[in-house]
Amino acid sequence: MADFISDFTRFKFLVVDDFSGMRTLLRDMLRECGARDIDEAANGKDAASLVSRRKYDMVLCDYNLGAGKNGQQVLEEAKVNGWIGPLCAWVMITAEKTPDTVVGAMEYQPDGYLIKPVNSALLYSRLGKLLARKSAFAEIDARLKHKDYQGALALCDEKMVQEKGVYATDLLRWKTQLLLSIGEHAQARQLFERILAGRDLPWAQVGLAKTMQLAGEYEASRTLLEQVVAENPANVEAYDWLAQAQDKLGQLEDARKTLERAAQLSPNSPLRQNNLGDAARRLGDVEAAEAAFRKSMSVGEHSVLKTPDSYIGLARILGDRKQTEEASRLLRKMPHAFNNETVSIRAKAVEGLIARQNGNEARAAEAGAALADLVKNAQGAIDVAASMEAASLLLATGRQDEAVGLLSVVVQNNHDNNTLMAQITDAFADAGLAAEGTQWMEQARRETVALMNEGVLLARDGKLPEAVAAMRNAVETMPGNVRVLLNCGHVMLLALQQRFDPALKREARQILLTANTLCPGEKRCAQLIAQLEALKA
Amino acid sequence: MHQAPPPDLSVFLASSAHDMKNSLGMLSGLLEKFLAEQNESDFSGYKDLSSMLYETRRINNDLMQLLALYKLDQDLYPFDPHPVSLPDFLADLAAQNARLLAARHIALTCDCPDDLVGHFDEDLLQGAINQALNNASQYTRGRIRLAAAQVGDMVEIRVEDDGTGYPPAMLGDETTPLGVNFNRGSTGLGLHFARSVAALHKNKGRSGTLRLENGGSLGGGCFILQLP
Repeated sequence: MADFISDFTRFKFLVVDDFSGMRTLLRDMLRECGARDIDEAANGKDAASLVSRRKYDMVLCDYNLGAGKNGQQVLEEAKVNGWIGPLCAWVMITAEKTPDTVVGAMEYQPDGYLIKPVNSALLYSRLGKLLARKSAFAEIDARLKHKDYQGALALCDEKMVQEKGVYATDLLRWKTQLLLSIGEHAQARQLFERILAGRDLPWAQVGLAKTMQLAGEYEASRTLLEQVVAENPANVEAYDWLAQAQDKLGQLEDARKTLERAAQLSPNSPLRQNNLGDAARRLGDVEAAEAAFRKSMSVGEHSVLKTPDSYIGLARILGDRKQTEEASRLLRKMPHAFNNETVSIRAKAVEGLIARQNGNEARAAEAGAALADLVKNAQGAIDVAASMEAASLLLATGRQDEAVGLLSVVVQNNHDNNTLMAQITDAFADAGLAAEGTQWMEQARRETVALMNEGVLLARDGKLPEAVAAMRNAVETMPGNVRVLLNCGHVMLLALQQRFDPALKREARQILLTANTLCPGEKRCAQLIAQLEALKA
Repeated sequence: MHQAPPPDLSVFLASSAHDMKNSLGMLSGLLEKFLAEQNESDFSGYKDLSSMLYETRRINNDLMQLLALYKLDQDLYPFDPHPVSLPDFLADLAAQNARLLAARHIALTCDCPDDLVGHFDEDLLQGAINQALNNASQYTRGRIRLAAAQVGDMVEIRVEDDGTGYPPAMLGDETTPLGVNFNRGSTGLGLHFARSVAALHKNKGRSGTLRLENGGSLGGGCFILQLP
């Protein structure tokens, strides 16, 4: 693999810095390196706008961009929205590396960091190598984007045979990422162990700990991560995963302390602050929860990764304190802040529930009416959390039909989730409809199981084409039901074994990948995918 | 009345250090640019200009090292070892120092096997080696050699000059602090930083080391860093 690209004339560059002197300096240096096509942006908003409209080959972006979005937030926005492709190299320029300016997770990592001061010779050398590296990995990245995980893996293995130099470790890291994406946790684990046999690499240790958690081995994961943070006290990723292990082990106080440490190192993550708030809330520390939720909201202001959970968490705290006006005001900000149907539904539902909680039946009814409208006009699927909250309010304000409409979908997609089914029963009971609720739920479950089994029974009788059709129908009706998805995949596999059809194989793969996304770590899923991939014409 | 807590000094430390680094970045960048545009024979201020660049580099090195040591001490440094191609690494260092060394008529040679790969935090190592190069440029008679090689199970990086060498008190890899010596403008910071950086790099129970020797291939001072 060529490891240096020397001709910068054909590349499109973007320089982002809030200080015009620095922009000019960087621009001049790039010119010295041979670059000709150089755009500039002075803030995060303009940078995001440019990146959304033009396919740059390289972005040089200062982390600090004054008020508004910072460089990392622009990068996250660009990645989430798919504005930058596999061939775009993103370089974050910073005066110094600190835990809050450096991102450990591969998902949102820039391709490189440049620490000021830089000169043109260094710039040329670094960028030339980066462009070559992006080019070397572009094909793998592209296959990944098309969800062709097996193809990406094959390419990885191919390149690994030839590559003995610096890219070797990158390829291994890519491979672990890909294996995890397709649910091959055991294989990923083995690979991490193999890597660690050669060298103590923190990212591999964290990866190994991750696979342990996916296998339910929380104790082992915790022990490993405790070791990692002892040796690498500024590794934020390790703390995040440690907190998760401690939480799963029921060590909530420890989890909270760990999250506090992580947030101290890297406070600008809305998700982390929200998790901290959630932990505090569960420990009964309302003050700390409120502070964390507020922090999550403020650091998330310009971030595409901001989470509605912190707004809702804060609103509930305000509601518990009878500050209904403030809670309402907060919730009414949400639709604008998120521009997302499901979020708007949740916000309205919680507004009504809080009003009801504080005895304001009129306000609750008002919210119920508005909510019914939102649900009716919803274009896409409404997730479980939103459905449950909405259904609670709808039931409580006498809108039984609308509630049942929402809950049917939840039941169909989660009929074997006993916790959820119990919550639905409770919601009916709260609204004084216990008897009707139980009756309705029994029927809904029966119908769901029948629909699901129809395909399975046909398959058992050897009527494979009919079985596939029936399973397809079931998947269409219950697209979020993991059991249905897996059974469908299984039935399609049987049909493929009888008669190979590339289109059917693609369909089956897509269905199984959806199941894997909904339920990461599901063993049956990985097994079925492996069997599927082994099939040839 | 809710009193605001007194300002935390560490916040000022962080923000002003950041500010200084930005200023130094501009200073250094503009000086390099200016120097590049001048001809030594035509511009009488050429020597002074290159001195200015050297001093700016020194300040930046000191600041960077202080910041890094502070962060390491506070468990705030995002230590990030990754595989680095040694020939590329040395080439980067040469590039960073090219203009400065040329202005002082110092010849730099790089010696490194094509396929040598090390595992280290590139930014920290760059800081340490830049410091060594800066020092060498003060004491050399005209030649500096930058080399890397596999020595046993360690990767070794050397900065050698053809000057008079290090004073006896500095030789070896003793960990006793050397104290300030204003005569030679040495604060001991650079050495302490390089030692700390070396020791930070561990693998399978082995740690990195730094030692100073006299001799080497150019007969002067040798700055020798070994990493597992």
